[in-house]
Amino acid sequence: MPDRKEKVVLPAAHRAEEIHLAMQRAVWSDLVVGLNAAAPNEACAFVLTRPSIGIVRHTAILGEIVWPREGEVEATPGKLEISADYISRALDVAAEAGPRVGLCLVHSHPDSEWGPGIAEFSRRDDWYEQRLFPTIVGSRPEALSASLVLNPKGEVDARVWWRETKGAATQKAQVLRIVGPELTVLETPASTWSDHADPTVMDRSTRLWGGEGRRRLQNLRVGIVGGGGTGSLVTFATATMGVGKLRIWDKDTGSKQNRNRTAGITKEFIDKPKVEALKALAETVATAEPFLVEIYQDWATTEQGLRQLRDCDIIFCCVDKFAPRVPLNDLAYAHLIPTLDMASWIHPDRDGNIDALMTHAHVWSPGIPCAWCRETLTSYRLTQEAQGEQRGAEKRIPYGLPLEAIDAVEPSVLPLNMLGVSLALMQFMQVALKITTRTPNDLKFILPEWELDESDRKAKSECDCVQTIGLGDTLPIRPVIME
Amino acid sequence: MPPSEDLLKAVQTLDERSGYVFQISPDVVPGTNLFVVHTAEHPFRSDYTVAGGAFGFRVPANFPDAAPEDSFFILPTTVKLVRPDPVRNVVDLNRASVADGLVVGSVLGRVPVLMFSWHLWDRVPWNRRIHTLMDHYNHCIRRFEQPEHD
Repeated sequence: MPDRKEKVVLPAAHRAEEIHLAMQRAVWSDLVVGLNAAAPNEACAFVLTRPSIGIVRHTAILGEIVWPREGEVEATPGKLEISADYISRALDVAAEAGPRVGLCLVHSHPDSEWGPGIAEFSRRDDWYEQRLFPTIVGSRPEALSASLVLNPKGEVDARVWWRETKGAATQKAQVLRIVGPELTVLETPASTWSDHADPTVMDRSTRLWGGEGRRRLQNLRVGIVGGGGTGSLVTFATATMGVGKLRIWDKDTGSKQNRNRTAGITKEFIDKPKVEALKALAETVATAEPFLVEIYQDWATTEQGLRQLRDCDIIFCCVDKFAPRVPLNDLAYAHLIPTLDMASWIHPDRDGNIDALMTHAHVWSPGIPCAWCRETLTSYRLTQEAQGEQRGAEKRIPYGLPLEAIDAVEPSVLPLNMLGVSLALMQFMQVALKITTRTPNDLKFILPEWELDESDRKAKSECDCVQTIGLGDTLPIRPVIME
Repeated sequence: MPPSEDLLKAVQTLDERSGYVFQISPDVVPGTNLFVVHTAEHPFRSDYTVAGGAFGFRVPANFPDAAPEDSFFILPTTVKLVRPDPVRNVVDLNRASVADGLVVGSVLGRVPVLMFSWHLWDRVPWNRRIHTLMDHYNHCIRRFEQPEHD
């Protein structure tokens, strides 16, 4: 037990510019209910953690809860005593889950006779963790472990723990992301978020989503994968509506043929990287202050691109092929980064006349069926895409039919793209700002029916979007090179 | 674009488990995103006019997310049935046809192959987390044990 005046010096170190904790909403709900049930006593639980390592951000993703058994924790309104048996059992569970799986100690500061619970680590917490975590990180040296304290108001403080050469090291976390159909962001006392420098310029929007929404847009980092027909419109819209940090990927250069459907490709950007055009566009229309746009003239689904994406809070998937959707879909669920997928199809009949138009916008996030469940992605469709100019070879050749070279270039028009982007932006407002009570499943607008349809497909229980939620870097995600 | 580590490993496992020496093309077939996986020496059915030859199939670069093509090929292209199939009354192999340009980029060179259509993955859809090239190979091999007509 520390002396009240004794200052506890934690082994603070710098691991990354940004430190987050993240968990799916179901885990958060279980923790809140389970820990608050013990009030006015404090309560605790160990939770398995898995890393999500980006370029500037390291996230500890919380997963399975290892609840204490009877007698493993002694709790009062002012303190917790955790038995060696419980620590040992939790470490065994982590070890069984894999070498990169660590532990997070989550505990509550309930309201009590001394006043409201404070969501900050107490001196006693520091003292205790300084003794506990050398054991944990020593046993889990490849993992990113953590600790989290919460109060009844849902406020939090958090930090990560890991093993360095000299022993245990810790760094404060700035944010806890709770991810389900919507994204909730809880700032810790170490948060570096700031409000808009001049909130009055955002007045009309703030009247819908409030000051908290404005602050969230100002600080979220939004990734835009693909700077073509849909990506350019997303860039224009998100910069205009006050998103403070954008990252955009596209390897292509602009051409005169892009201009009829791509925002920002002015004549001066023909033969220049599309991302440069989009950077200029974003900086011209941005309303967030400060505003940062980072561009990458590469595909986002390379090994490096997938790491850069781990820094994002929400991603727009604006690609025009199926193959890159695979790692983006996997990333959304495994790394708890809601992703908004959109696409348009224009379908010709046998005579080449257009007989159907469709655009869709689909949120990939825990609690919503993924692209595989929705069958936007199927292994057969991916194979067909890989056949390229020899599409359908297996159906034609064995029956003596000649191979038809297909250029695989489909029609694309701005109004249809803009409609898909608008649907995705409505979903963005819901996911990021929760403007209504429910996030929709895949939305599809179809012609000639002029119908807006919401998918009623359920998530398949054996699908990765159920089985791999929150696995972070322990789930291999294969890069896709779009050459 | 060379094959991914996943694909190289999958071919190596196929090689070890099938008992035949499989190899993968160093690059994709031009105009596609497909690699050619084949073995130069594989036995054929006893009722074929040729006892053995090359056997292979094509696999997408993004395997195993994408399934192998629902087909396979053999060489030489002159293979026929020893006796006419009693139902079709022909010596041509059922649902197989000579095609050009399918294995360009592999060591087989720019040669035509005899390509078989075989709806291998219609009953059990390809599952990227479970299925392997060995599963695909086993499906292909079933073709040699089926009657020579639909």
